[in-house]
Amino acid sequence: MNKDEAFRFPREMVIGLLALAVAWQILSLFVPPFIVPGWQRIGKSLLTLRMDFVLVTLARVVAALVVSFALGLGVAVLMYASTPVERYGRPLVRLLMAVPVVCWILFAVLWFKWVELRIAFVLVVVCAPVFLVDILDAMRGVSKDLRDMLRSFRPTRAQLFTKLVLPATLPAMLTSWKINLSLAIRVVTIAELVGAVTGIGYGLVVAQELFSVAEVFAWTLILVVLLFGAEAVLTRVEERLLRWRV
Amino acid sequence: MARVRGAGAIEVSGLRKVFHQTGTGEAVVAIERLDFVIAQGDIVAIVGQTGCGKSTFLNIVIGLDRPTEGRVAIGGHAPYDDFERFRGLLATVFQQDRLLPWRTAIDNVRLPLELLGRDAGEQLARARAILDRLGLGRFERAYPHELSGGMRQRVALARAFVIEPALLLADEAFGHLDEVTAATLRRTFIDLARTEGNTAVLVTHQLEEAIDMGGRILVFGRPGRLLADIDLRTWPAGSVGGLRAEIQRMLQDNAADPRFGHSAKERA
Repeated sequence: MNKDEAFRFPREMVIGLLALAVAWQILSLFVPPFIVPGWQRIGKSLLTLRMDFVLVTLARVVAALVVSFALGLGVAVLMYASTPVERYGRPLVRLLMAVPVVCWILFAVLWFKWVELRIAFVLVVVCAPVFLVDILDAMRGVSKDLRDMLRSFRPTRAQLFTKLVLPATLPAMLTSWKINLSLAIRVVTIAELVGAVTGIGYGLVVAQELFSVAEVFAWTLILVVLLFGAEAVLTRVEERLLRWRV
Repeated sequence: MARVRGAGAIEVSGLRKVFHQTGTGEAVVAIERLDFVIAQGDIVAIVGQTGCGKSTFLNIVIGLDRPTEGRVAIGGHAPYDDFERFRGLLATVFQQDRLLPWRTAIDNVRLPLELLGRDAGEQLARARAILDRLGLGRFERAYPHELSGGMRQRVALARAFVIEPALLLADEAFGHLDEVTAATLRRTFIDLARTEGNTAVLVTHQLEEAIDMGGRILVFGRPGRLLADIDLRTWPAGSVGGLRAEIQRMLQDNAADPRFGHSAKERA
């Protein structure tokens, strides 16, 4: 990516979002505020929100993603290194991925007393398998040509892994981070609905109990901004780490 | 780097390689039978049409594949079975440069030295010296995608030579480049091999390239058998044209032989 492209003003995105905001505002003039609140109401609600809840949710997401990544990477390496481990492990991973999020939330409530553990469990059990599958597939997909080239120099297993497999897998890891980030932000909100007394999910429950539609929209707006912001950070990291790409 | 005596000599005896197709399990003979010896310090071109087992032979020499029957021994040891023994003794330039895209030119060149556990200072000094020698000093910090095809292949050449291998292999390494670049790189390859005293084996489907090497030519026919073993150093200087015609005729006869069709399926 050249510099001009990297710093290009996202004109289309800004125009699209502005058009949506204007349409929303026009709609709010014709629809009762408890269905579509105007930007003024949403703005007022934004000022009353507890911003520490945002940090709490963000911390939960980041911590869970770090743990999920470490777990996913670790198990992917084990499966990559051992065919029997992969043969036994793959069906289990597929099973984990087939269970709906809401079931994991119910299991978490039934199995764990501590709220933080419930939220962490749900996030990790949802995100770690995604990391694992993405990383393992990328490892399996490393070019045979490059593998043969390196093997012709007789590397140790560890060298083959650190000099080739790991760096070749890095783009897939970063893509997986982006996918999981969006997944985690959506899942954490649902997980926080059950039993938490902090975080954006809890804020949403309170807003719903108070019938404050504007506050629900304000929280939603914050969630979207949070996701966009985190994605922007990841994109910058990606640009830095993958500057070797065409 | 310490040179192991006879480490670059290759003995090929009764070599046969059969692959089994995925799905059908049908046997395909890639190499029917090969017997020859390449002495330490020889510069050899292996020429033949597509499907005559040249690359399969090279993969067996590199140690990436094992023979179905017979034996390939380098300095008395089988490269597949004694895989680790050849650490630092053997290097290959492939058809595609096979540079690691996330490494700069100099980092690609120092890679084999990293694998050998050389210290960082030595890695850099040697990688820089060989890049300078190949005229790429100014591009040491460039990523592969920033270099032309010829430059990338020169980096690949530098990566192979940086460990001063006893045996240097090239698998159609210059065939995809334009004629001028290919000739320059071929010349560099031969010069470097001669300077270092390496045994060099270049696999090619281009007869001109094999003749240009000026050493020994092994002509392979389908499926993987030796049609001729010619030493250009003993060939009369004025009769290369006749030699060219002779090899072409040999290859054409082999291609036209119905027993050796393109697929070369198992007849045994």
